[in-house]
Amino acid sequence: MKFILNGTEVTYTGALNASLLDVLRDEYRLTGVKCGCKEGECGACSVIMDDRLVNSCMIAMGQAADSTIISIEGYRDTDRYAVLDRAYASVGAAQCGFCIPGMILASECILAKTPHPSEEQIREGISGNLCRCTGYNAIVTAVSIAAKEGEGLW
Amino acid sequence: MVNSYIAASLKEALDIRAREDVIPYGGGTDLMIKAADDVSYLFIGKIPELKQISEDNEYIRIGAACTFTEIIESPLIPPVLKAAASQIGGPAIRNLGTIGGNIANGSPKADSVLILFVTDAMLRLVSDKGERILPVKDYYLGKKKTALAGDELISEILIPRVDLSNYYYKKVGARKAQAISRVAFAGLMNITNGRITHCATAFGSVSDVIIRRDYIDAMLIGRTIEEAKACKAEYLAAFDEAIVPISGRISAEYRKSVCMNLLGDFLSENGI
Repeated sequence: MKFILNGTEVTYTGALNASLLDVLRDEYRLTGVKCGCKEGECGACSVIMDDRLVNSCMIAMGQAADSTIISIEGYRDTDRYAVLDRAYASVGAAQCGFCIPGMILASECILAKTPHPSEEQIREGISGNLCRCTGYNAIVTAVSIAAKEGEGLW
Repeated sequence: MVNSYIAASLKEALDIRAREDVIPYGGGTDLMIKAADDVSYLFIGKIPELKQISEDNEYIRIGAACTFTEIIESPLIPPVLKAAASQIGGPAIRNLGTIGGNIANGSPKADSVLILFVTDAMLRLVSDKGERILPVKDYYLGKKKTALAGDELISEILIPRVDLSNYYYKKVGARKAQAISRVAFAGLMNITNGRITHCATAFGSVSDVIIRRDYIDAMLIGRTIEEAKACKAEYLAAFDEAIVPISGRISAEYRKSVCMNLLGDFLSENGI
């Protein structure tokens, strides 16, 4: 089966039952995709599949066939990432950093759907991404800042 | 190594389903929690025939592989189902999980299935030999036991387009997002010219199967609000007897009192 991974078409010949999380980390060495709970609870393994935020631990490879997948490694090269990166840094929204790849991709999905999100919409958008350090407020602020600073990008 | 299959069309999926011992895989959000290498999946999540949402004079028709996000975003879906779907998991889970999978998993905690019970929805089950349409309440046979035959797939959910507008829905979980229901309740009531023309209730996460007792709800149908108030105690007593909760991490006593509180609140909100 084939799928598009961070802009490049790849052919995968391994087991269709393997989780996308394991394949991204072990086979493609994309270790920005974090393995937290492996049961869809924490969002650390979030990637964007066909323009939607998904938990890569919840996806068997058979379901990823013909999909377009973006991990933090691919997203990092975008202008939108640069805006989010600055916004997160400006308010200290990243502490230990483990949740941040997922948080950044969740932030992207919030802004792609709602370029000027309310606080409630931001909280809803990151509600599947757990952070054990920040208490979320700094992350919510960072997304608001990114929405302003990145005016026109989303 | 076992074979898993990616089906491109419903026909191809049904051919494989008839021939092989496979587990239908819609969105995977239940299956992947206990991810196994030694089972054969039939991937049906991208089959176009299972992704449609449409309506006709009688029904809203939802393809079994529609995700909760697609359900929330569709203008055809009634608010009561959107209310339940939007409280499932978090955004990333709703982007994957399908309504067909929620049904097939067989859990009484399935948040979307509660709505299918309260709306008396029907399921279209298809196989390579034909199809049958089953009321959702007849699909559930017991704890994790469903009527789905080994060669069948759920293809479509049919929700009757009547009495859907005045709804009540509450999910009681331990947290706001990513919560598994401790108790969920849905109610529908149609009051026309001061008279109750429709009343339906359903209780999820309480028993092995979602509780829907239409013969008790029928006690209120045809009555004025004043008449309904007069028989409210009798109605509540009937449900108090009918609801026999299971005990797990949540006690049966807690489940029972939450059910009765929500039922009482549903009546109060409708002036009863």
